[in-house]
Amino acid sequence: MDNKDNANPTILTASELPTRQIKKRKSPASADDAKFADAVSRRPLFLSDPFCDVSWSDGTESEDEFIEEPIDEQEIYDLISNITDPEHPISLGQLAVVNLPDVEITPLPSTPCDPNALRRVLVKVTPTITHCSLATVLGLGVRVRLEQALPPNYRVDVVIKEGSHSQDDQVNKQLADKEKSCCSTRERHTQGCTGQNAGNLRLDFTYANSCATALCEL
Amino acid sequence: MPRADTEPPSTGATSASCTTAPGNRYRIRPSPLIATAHEKSTTVFSLSTLTSHSTLSGGHTRSVRSVAWKPNLSPHKLCLVSGSFDSTAGLWRWEEEKKATGDDLEVEITSNHDDSSDKDDAEKDWEFALVLEGHDSEIKSVAFSPSGQYLATCSRDKSVWIWEDVGVNEDDDEWETVAVLNEHDGDVKAVAWCPDGARSGRGRYSSDVLASASYDDTVRIWREDGDGEWVCVAVLEGHAGTVWGLQWEPKPEGTRFPRLLTWSADQTLRLWSLKEEDDEEENPPPQHAWGSLGGIPNTMRRSLKEEWECTATLPKAHTRDVYSASWSADSARIASTGSDGVVVVYGEEPAAADSETSHDEAAVELDGDVHMGNRNDSKAKGPPPTTWKVLGTTDYGHGPFEINHVTWCKRYDLECPLSGEASRRCSSPQVMTVWSVPGRSRENRELRGVLA
Repeated sequence: MDNKDNANPTILTASELPTRQIKKRKSPASADDAKFADAVSRRPLFLSDPFCDVSWSDGTESEDEFIEEPIDEQEIYDLISNITDPEHPISLGQLAVVNLPDVEITPLPSTPCDPNALRRVLVKVTPTITHCSLATVLGLGVRVRLEQALPPNYRVDVVIKEGSHSQDDQVNKQLADKEKSCCSTRERHTQGCTGQNAGNLRLDFTYANSCATALCEL
Repeated sequence: MPRADTEPPSTGATSASCTTAPGNRYRIRPSPLIATAHEKSTTVFSLSTLTSHSTLSGGHTRSVRSVAWKPNLSPHKLCLVSGSFDSTAGLWRWEEEKKATGDDLEVEITSNHDDSSDKDDAEKDWEFALVLEGHDSEIKSVAFSPSGQYLATCSRDKSVWIWEDVGVNEDDDEWETVAVLNEHDGDVKAVAWCPDGARSGRGRYSSDVLASASYDDTVRIWREDGDGEWVCVAVLEGHAGTVWGLQWEPKPEGTRFPRLLTWSADQTLRLWSLKEEDDEEENPPPQHAWGSLGGIPNTMRRSLKEEWECTATLPKAHTRDVYSASWSADSARIASTGSDGVVVVYGEEPAAADSETSHDEAAVELDGDVHMGNRNDSKAKGPPPTTWKVLGTTDYGHGPFEINHVTWCKRYDLECPLSGEASRRCSSPQVMTVWSVPGRSRENRELRGVLA
């Protein structure tokens, strides 16, 4: 396996990374952006608080919050761009593994809807090398980070960007299986990668709540 | 207790209780019970009182993914197997000790609403009797054969194991591995035994039939060949994603072999039927060109395969992985759910007949009202052509969360008539309610649903 074909990937400097100011310059027409002027330097709300203690049945409070501050692509990007590649002490954003145009939210963040309504976040990751078992790890890192940070009505899909990896289908399938997250983190450990993002990943997929039943009705 | 609603009593829709002989509904045990796997434990709830009956904890170091009751036990005993991500399966036993006479017990249970003492007693009564070790990785599913003789377990290690109860007495707890089936190319997500053991014997095969569903997108059918060898007799290919689970038809029509329901990450549910031969007596009919030769040695006969075909795809109603479905023995309706948090109920109708929806208001506004006829309409011996329709959907069954599991069960907590007529009337989608025994109050991404 040739996993050295990009030993020296292009690295973006911090100033080249997309931020909300750049976006604002690009699309000054957006009225919403004014509200977010201070959000750039603010620590993302969902980063430290996985939102798990917000009751989904308690409609009013969370509803207001989501209406005032819809999570947009930039916020998703901010959540994942600072994850570090296990092989490099450099963030996924700097490595251009994750890119702002490759983050899609459907329906669009500006569309108001039921607080329970699903929003799909699709992130296409571009692995730094084409033959890389770490592609799965990177993808899972992105997926787990987002699942932990985003409200529960968000469904996160992470796929390998078309043509950037030799085993797209296999990796995509694994990334889509919620029970698979543990395998890859274990593989990473057996590979001896210390993985600076290990602290950000839960190591095992667990069903934290009920996942099966059996009836005994005799 | 998290009863989610106070809909009319008629909401009780269908159940699995008909899997037991209807005329034999004694209640010496504190049943009906439902066992729920959650985190590293299993909690048993009474469906009569909707309260916790007992908890089985301390046996596993990772999530319990699946639970199964051992069938055909004497009235004072319970036996449950839990399959865990810690790669072991645990066998638990519960025995009624204090109340010696069975006649008293029903009264005791139904009148005992003292939660705490009840729970303490019950917890004392569960014994972690045996650990079944062998799998290399997470156990995804466990299932008992209808007689209780065999236990099947399947795992992330791509294998299916069949264990046989070889103890002389019920609680000897001696189990032997009789087969390790390694033909799947990916995690095996679920196993299920054909419930209809008596009728399913086919020629040289014994009556027990096992099906397994896998990450490799296929389903496999397994039988014991009479010489103690378990062989794969069919590979069901058609799903375009991980097959998350499967269930056999609980009440097949006439003498027809039960169909198999499968559900998948490809967002669909499929029904599969065995192509049954014309005369299925002592002599296996020719299934292949060379099958008619009389003197074929056993080893070659053993390789004879069954032919299965996908005879229906249920109307598409899900937008993400289908994680669970349940086929009611009473109403023959199917409920499904998954990552999109939607609970969908489907009904089967004769393909030609007009739908009987006049008294069923909700049916008017059905989406996904797609007719999916059987493919083998022209065949005389084939199953009658039918149509599956979406009878109703419930969005956000557990709020914004994914739903891991759904099952039909009767509402024993209410005075709900159990007759077939009542069931049909009851299960109008408009009054269908989704409720969960343990889950509603917990804030997490994985919850389960019970249709009541």
